[in-house]
Amino acid sequence: MTRHFLSLDRISTLALTLCLLATPLASAAEPTSSASASDEPPTLKGGSCSVQGLMDQIRRGLGSKSEAYRLYLRTLLRESAVTLPLHELQAAFEREYDPVMAEHLAAALVARTERGLEPEAMARVAQRALEDRDPSIRAATVRAMRLTGALERTGDMYERLVRDPSPEVRREAATNLVEDNLKVYGGRHGPAVDAAVTAAVASSDSKVTAQIVGQLMTGEVSAESARKLEQLLRSDSAEVRAAASSALGGVPAAEMTRAREALLGMYRGEQDPTVRKAILQSIARLGFSGAVPELQRLRGVDPSLAPEIDAWIRVLEMDLQEWSLILREKQRLQQAR
Amino acid sequence: MTPESLHRSTSPAKSPSRQRLWLGAIALGAVALLIGVALIGSDSPEAQPKGGAAAAAPGTRQGGPSGNGTATGLAGQGGAEQPREKGPRFTATTCWEGLEHFNEAVTLETFRAWAAPLLAARDPHVREYLRGRLAELIGNDEGRALEVLGWAKEAPPTEFKLLMGGLRQSKAIVLPRVGARLTELGLDESIEIERRAGFLDGLQHLPQLEPGALERLTRFARDPASGEAGWITTRSIGRVMKEDLTRTGNARPYLDKLFTIGTESPDEPVRYLALEMEMHADAPLDAQATERLARILATEGSEHIREVAAHDLSLAQDKARGLEIYAKAFEAEKDLCVRWALFRFAARAAGKAALPVMANMAITDPRFQGNYQDIARLYASGVVDFDRIWFGLPDQNPHGCLDKHDD
Repeated sequence: MTRHFLSLDRISTLALTLCLLATPLASAAEPTSSASASDEPPTLKGGSCSVQGLMDQIRRGLGSKSEAYRLYLRTLLRESAVTLPLHELQAAFEREYDPVMAEHLAAALVARTERGLEPEAMARVAQRALEDRDPSIRAATVRAMRLTGALERTGDMYERLVRDPSPEVRREAATNLVEDNLKVYGGRHGPAVDAAVTAAVASSDSKVTAQIVGQLMTGEVSAESARKLEQLLRSDSAEVRAAASSALGGVPAAEMTRAREALLGMYRGEQDPTVRKAILQSIARLGFSGAVPELQRLRGVDPSLAPEIDAWIRVLEMDLQEWSLILREKQRLQQAR
Repeated sequence: MTPESLHRSTSPAKSPSRQRLWLGAIALGAVALLIGVALIGSDSPEAQPKGGAAAAAPGTRQGGPSGNGTATGLAGQGGAEQPREKGPRFTATTCWEGLEHFNEAVTLETFRAWAAPLLAARDPHVREYLRGRLAELIGNDEGRALEVLGWAKEAPPTEFKLLMGGLRQSKAIVLPRVGARLTELGLDESIEIERRAGFLDGLQHLPQLEPGALERLTRFARDPASGEAGWITTRSIGRVMKEDLTRTGNARPYLDKLFTIGTESPDEPVRYLALEMEMHADAPLDAQATERLARILATEGSEHIREVAAHDLSLAQDKARGLEIYAKAFEAEKDLCVRWALFRFAARAAGKAALPVMANMAITDPRFQGNYQDIARLYASGVVDFDRIWFGLPDQNPHGCLDKHDD
């Protein structure tokens, strides 16, 4: 099918949107009281699902103010995907140019692969994420691969996506890398962390690089990736330097000494206060109570950060043994101020 | 054991060092669930894995958002492609004619009657939708929430689960009068115990428990007649503690009550859970709480519970006293897995300063010599935190304790 047909879909979506705008706004919780016919109970009849039926239902349901209903439709398509005809799903996906609908269909195809059916279903989604001419479609298909095994199944897709001409696509790809690492792999899967670091370095968009690096758990990062993070400390972007500083605080035991030296060496020359704060945090994280003397030595470098250093020293002197406990106490201290 | 029991008995993981303890919790939770709670929403969204970071075992990968289908149906209609001959089999879904109208026109007043045929259909996706839609209809309205609670008091079991599921998802669940009513219904002896457990389960979403309510709930939880409802109540107290601790920094009232339950309940799963809740909240322990744990370690008959107590003790604010208790308990302890817990959590309590105590433990029990050398080497290399120590160990299950709990 072609974009010609898709433009019809767009018209129908537009018409639906206009109809909805013309309708008096009702709360999500309750229908309008004018809907007197609504007192009549609906005739409910369960039946088998079809691609076309689901697509029609979803297209209409997009306008619903009920988040529960929209979520239901999304779930229903994804759960139905494994029992629907693949060729029909693929055909619907190919001819769909409404980003929201394309995302639903892409998620359904991805679900087939995730649940042990054909790998090519996800491959088709990845291909469209990389190649579709419409950036909003590319972004939508990237979202459809979020919280799945796409990181392991799609080769260098993410390295390419973070270099996409569209900032929206780059951001969505970065979000996938971060969320997949944290939620699919529990933050402790070395190859997934390394793939994210590689993609972050590959991007020329400093916001994307910072978005990825600043939110990764780096406890399983390889030595090679640790070197890449150190290189990012020399970025022109303060945002990237701050993110890389934070990331180096979490590196595995074998990388701790080198990371600490890199951060300490950088602190005096760094002018940006946000970056300096990130460095202080990572020095604290790499040394725990043993970092107190180093922090005291840095106290005179930037007097405006002396209260921050004092706060770290106070918390580190509690001699807590897990970073999450230290962070919790630091936050409490800040709230108490 | 059901998937739900896994959910009931565990909370999200923070550290792999706790995996073994959770497995213990799972075992004990399963025992508790043999009693059976038909009314707490076995199909509630809470019972489903969320795919959250914390739910994943470190270094392992969870599945995608969809779990594998397991049941009987094959393909859809109309020339559907058959899954590969030896491939997975999936249950066909149901599409509902008329649901769009239901969604747009239903009100709180019509909800029960209109939802009845959908509820009877046993379609998990539509049930999930109904809970969400009911939550939207309740919104943040105290009166509506109380009305739904009134229905729940008399509703048949399946509808009860739906009503409570909707209420739990609604914004109104945190309102004080709703919490008070849940407590009242949960402690109402004229209501059957399974239904009371459902009400008590709803308490876990409250931001705090008032002293009077906390006292009454504690009394109920440690009462042998409470059974599964006592276990549910204990979990609710623990979850509110975690929330209140995050918000206010104070867990003391809850911890005091949980340790009371953990000491006085005659039911082992309830005692275990009471102590496990401290583990999930990571609440700091004052001198009094520390001494209570010392007594539990010395007197508790269940090795599972002594293990979780060993974990809890690592949050003692007086680290020197904590190490004294670890050393004494290790000497008296006969169970290998409890000794392993005492050994490793001494490091979580005091870090490198625990090494002399751990060295003595390894002299007392040479099975820990290798563990001591591994941990001492890591500290000597400059590692300072327990997480890196743990992940730096060559084997996180050196004494087969995980396998033991898997039995």
